[in-house]
Amino acid sequence: MTQVVRFTARRLGRALLTVWFAVTVTFLLLRLLPGDPALAVASPNMTPEARLELLRQYGLDEPLLVQYGKYLWQLLHGNLGISFARQVPVSDVLMERLPWTLLLTFSSLLVTVAVGIPLGVLAATRPRGFLDRFTQVGGVIGQSLFVPSVGIFLLFFLGLKLHLLPIGGSYSPGVYGPAWYLDVLKHLILPCLSLMLVQLGSYVLTLRSTLIDALGEDYCVLARAKGMPNRKVVWKHALRNALLPTTTLVGLQLGYLVGGAVLTETVFAYPGIGRGIYEAVTQLDFPVLQGAFVLLAVTVVIANMLTDLTYGVLDPRVRTA
Amino acid sequence: MTATVAGLDSVTNDQVTAARATWAAFRRNPLGMISVGILVLLVIVAACAPLIAAYPTGYGDQVLQAPSGAHWFGTDNLGRDIFAEVVWGARLSIVIAALSSALAIAIGVVVAVLGAYFPKVDSIVGTVVDLCLSLPVLPLMILVAALAGPSLVTLVLVIAFFSWPEVTRVVRSQALSVVRLPYMDAARLTGGSSIWIIRKHLLPAVAPVIVVSVVLTASRAVLSAAGLAFLGLGDPTSWSWGRILYEAQQSGAMQSAWWTTLFPSLAMLALVVSATLISIAYNDARNPRARED
Repeated sequence: MTQVVRFTARRLGRALLTVWFAVTVTFLLLRLLPGDPALAVASPNMTPEARLELLRQYGLDEPLLVQYGKYLWQLLHGNLGISFARQVPVSDVLMERLPWTLLLTFSSLLVTVAVGIPLGVLAATRPRGFLDRFTQVGGVIGQSLFVPSVGIFLLFFLGLKLHLLPIGGSYSPGVYGPAWYLDVLKHLILPCLSLMLVQLGSYVLTLRSTLIDALGEDYCVLARAKGMPNRKVVWKHALRNALLPTTTLVGLQLGYLVGGAVLTETVFAYPGIGRGIYEAVTQLDFPVLQGAFVLLAVTVVIANMLTDLTYGVLDPRVRTA
Repeated sequence: MTATVAGLDSVTNDQVTAARATWAAFRRNPLGMISVGILVLLVIVAACAPLIAAYPTGYGDQVLQAPSGAHWFGTDNLGRDIFAEVVWGARLSIVIAALSSALAIAIGVVVAVLGAYFPKVDSIVGTVVDLCLSLPVLPLMILVAALAGPSLVTLVLVIAFFSWPEVTRVVRSQALSVVRLPYMDAARLTGGSSIWIIRKHLLPAVAPVIVVSVVLTASRAVLSAAGLAFLGLGDPTSWSWGRILYEAQQSGAMQSAWWTTLFPSLAMLALVVSATLISIAYNDARNPRARED
């Protein structure tokens, strides 16, 4: 038990370190890059007095270290600054968007795993068969796809040509009650499918190779020698071990998934953080961009930590490592 | 088959190097060779863009025309020829990919090799790489590109600066296993300087991993650059594949004219898939066990 506690504590410490790193990088970028938002506010046309007053208001006349301390303090209180474009706190702007991004990324991850595991198993159990070749080619192409391209084509064919699904937004106005949930689900399908298509390849390829390795191990040979049906050897014995590296992959791909979500939301006008980033880019709303990065980084770090803790539960060896 | 050919060579020539064996195996891989062909073709198109198509500028009166003999890839919402846009876009996309991956490789390899060679540095390197890799890179790139203002230089620097940790991760793990080998101890015993050992003994040992990294980093850089351009953070003064998609999305042309988005997407896919296949074929060719098959 203490082992589990220690493992969890260590993992929590790493998560905090990562968040601190993300926040510090952001602070340094904001202060060192030419487009410094606060300096941009202080336009050169002002009188020196007005400029100084403004700098003081933003705390920019203080030493860098003091600014850094204040910045951390503000972040700890969930204060991400004020949106340039909307004059409301950045946290308000982002928090109303976060649920949509979480819904999109989480559902696409679920669908990817749900489709990826059977595909990987089928490919691994008949290596060099038709399906195996197909998944290998498909995996390489899938990993090379540009997310917006996929989104645009799904939108064009399934949405605009066949009128099967809505082409943008996350729900239709004026729909309430149980119908609303169905409507949200319909709006979710295309963005979710786009994200699944670009992720699926790496999951299938990873699972395929680890499963082939696992099937060659002694315990699988023994299980077969005992006369256990092949299907049981694969699903009950080999897959359990082969799934562990796949769990790691979830953690590794999270950052990439979030990037994909930003682009997907832009294509489908999905009201998540990604679409917010796109709008903030067009309005040069730096506080929102900064807040979006910090929030997404924290989300990824938390999700990553949960993945690792799950891994620790699944594989006792990890806890001692 | 290769074994016999290699055997004959070693008898007649006695100079069969690992590189030549790899190349011989690579040449027999049709997918790898086709990919090299596609990549070379794209580079030639990029280099000779002015000879192939006039720079897509100004406004034509033939707006949103479907692909035809006059306009192979059709025209966009302002009547510009999409074939010309894709050809000129190849130029910027490949330049950004080449420059940013060169920079990322340079930083990544130096950090990885120094980390592997000097154990004191390595714990820091390992931690920093882990930290960098666990952050969502695209939102970070967006923030920096927006702050610095979109331009070619910004794009190259931003992509390079956030791509080197991946290079370091791959090269470092290889370098760490090489550093422990006896010949490295022997090199140290000869009294050579650290720089000499790293340059003459460590770098050649990790060179194959670097080759693969170059290809993969460059292909990822194409996607990152396109992603930034798609969000409006590309270089607004020159054409890139991402910008064609961005304009199609902005103007709403993508909803009616499939050709505005299909062709730049295909170009990008061709580039990235062929780069990936080359790295796979190279890895197979380098691996003697895979060659036996």
